[in-house]
Amino acid sequence: MPLGTLDRDPPPFFRQGPSALSKLAVFSALALFLMVADARFKMLQPVRVVLGAVLYPVQWLVMQPVLLISSTGDYLSSLNSAQNAKDEAQKRLGLQSARANQVEQLSLENERLRKLLDLPLRLKINALAAQVIYDAADPYTRKVVINKGLLNRIALGSPVLDESGVLGQVTRVYPTVSEVTLITDRDHAIPVLNTRTGARGVAFGDTSTHADAMELRYMAANADVTVGDLLTTSGVDGVYPPGLPVARIEKVDRRVDAMFARIYCVPLSLVAGAHHVLVLEPLTSQIAPRPAAEPDAPLVNNGRRQEIK
Amino acid sequence: MIMRQGQQLLLPVNPLFIWGSMVGALLLNMFFNMGLFGRAPGVPDLLAVVLVFWTVHQPLRVSIGAAFFFGLLMDVHQGALLGQHAMSYTVLSFFAITVHRRLLWFSVPSQAAQVFPLFLAAHAVALILRMLAGGAFPGFWMLMAPVFEAMLWPVASIVLLAPQRRAPNPDANRPL
Repeated sequence: MPLGTLDRDPPPFFRQGPSALSKLAVFSALALFLMVADARFKMLQPVRVVLGAVLYPVQWLVMQPVLLISSTGDYLSSLNSAQNAKDEAQKRLGLQSARANQVEQLSLENERLRKLLDLPLRLKINALAAQVIYDAADPYTRKVVINKGLLNRIALGSPVLDESGVLGQVTRVYPTVSEVTLITDRDHAIPVLNTRTGARGVAFGDTSTHADAMELRYMAANADVTVGDLLTTSGVDGVYPPGLPVARIEKVDRRVDAMFARIYCVPLSLVAGAHHVLVLEPLTSQIAPRPAAEPDAPLVNNGRRQEIK
Repeated sequence: MIMRQGQQLLLPVNPLFIWGSMVGALLLNMFFNMGLFGRAPGVPDLLAVVLVFWTVHQPLRVSIGAAFFFGLLMDVHQGALLGQHAMSYTVLSFFAITVHRRLLWFSVPSQAAQVFPLFLAAHAVALILRMLAGGAFPGFWMLMAPVFEAMLWPVASIVLLAPQRRAPNPDANRPL
């Protein structure tokens, strides 16, 4: 047997490098630094973009068999289910066209009335169709990845809709893909309006009761909210255009000892299985700048003003 | 170096195979995520298994630095907190280094039982970090991930050592 064919080197005496403990200390300190810089100071998006660009060809490669399998599945799906889907779509189209025909007239009328009353005109919103490619693997958050990115001029914070309601918001943009935080994510808040009563509130993602749910927080314990109320975006945040359906109230839990009612809602959009989505341009670019603060009015009653503060 | 009893003499390892297998594990992880399981918390992390395997078998080639770098790649792919996997893989790799002299003296099932606490520790590190950073608890299925990873250890021992178990002098009767 020739020399050098066995994996039996004696361990090196001197070329040991730094000890494992010191390496552990250095690398965990580096990881901690990265985490703090990422979570607290949001400084690491460039690093992510660079690493993401390195990783993208690999991801693309992995996507191919996935896409192949899913497209084969679509191809082999029965004629019957395809016809059912078509019937369903046509039924919905019929329902929608009745309303859509009125929209033209109503929006014209609205525009004229607003001009008459000297109100600012409603904003026009540009939209871009995109496709959800996969769920982001991180189990601690609720995010999906869509196939449009910086190259398609997706802006950070853009609202994302599917056919039945608001799905979420773009929170990270890479060159070719972007990450959308779903409305059911725990850290995601969306300002909503109860269409029955007109009361505004804020809905948060909530995964404590079941997988994909939301909670309407900070509503007083005696607030007028009933099961089945529809929540739409209120438009006060300057990100979401007003009037998009968000969720429906599922359960109202009023407790005697709590200031606020616990109100659970179910999102209307298919947060777990959305496929085709619409990315809207955020309204922030069109909104007029905030007026400068007025100088303090002369104090009438010094003591009273102090008390209010 | 003392040889343990009944140990098979292995061929030298090909560094390309080491790095290839780690990239392959990363690819499989991505495939599990994109194609099969989505964000299910109980999915085994193949990259962690391969990383521990090579840290135990080749501590001079694969060590904490490599673990850190692959952890960063996982973080970027998952869209997780940047540094979370880097941290948990660093800890995992450190524990693997501390047990590497002892571990290979045991039979493979016994090795699997002994690497289980390592995987558990790595997942615990990730969980603690994310809870501190304000994430949502992913559910108790995540307890199954280290179990699956330990169960994959015998598979890794067969697949990843196969190239080193070939005959040193292949002939017509023994082509591999």
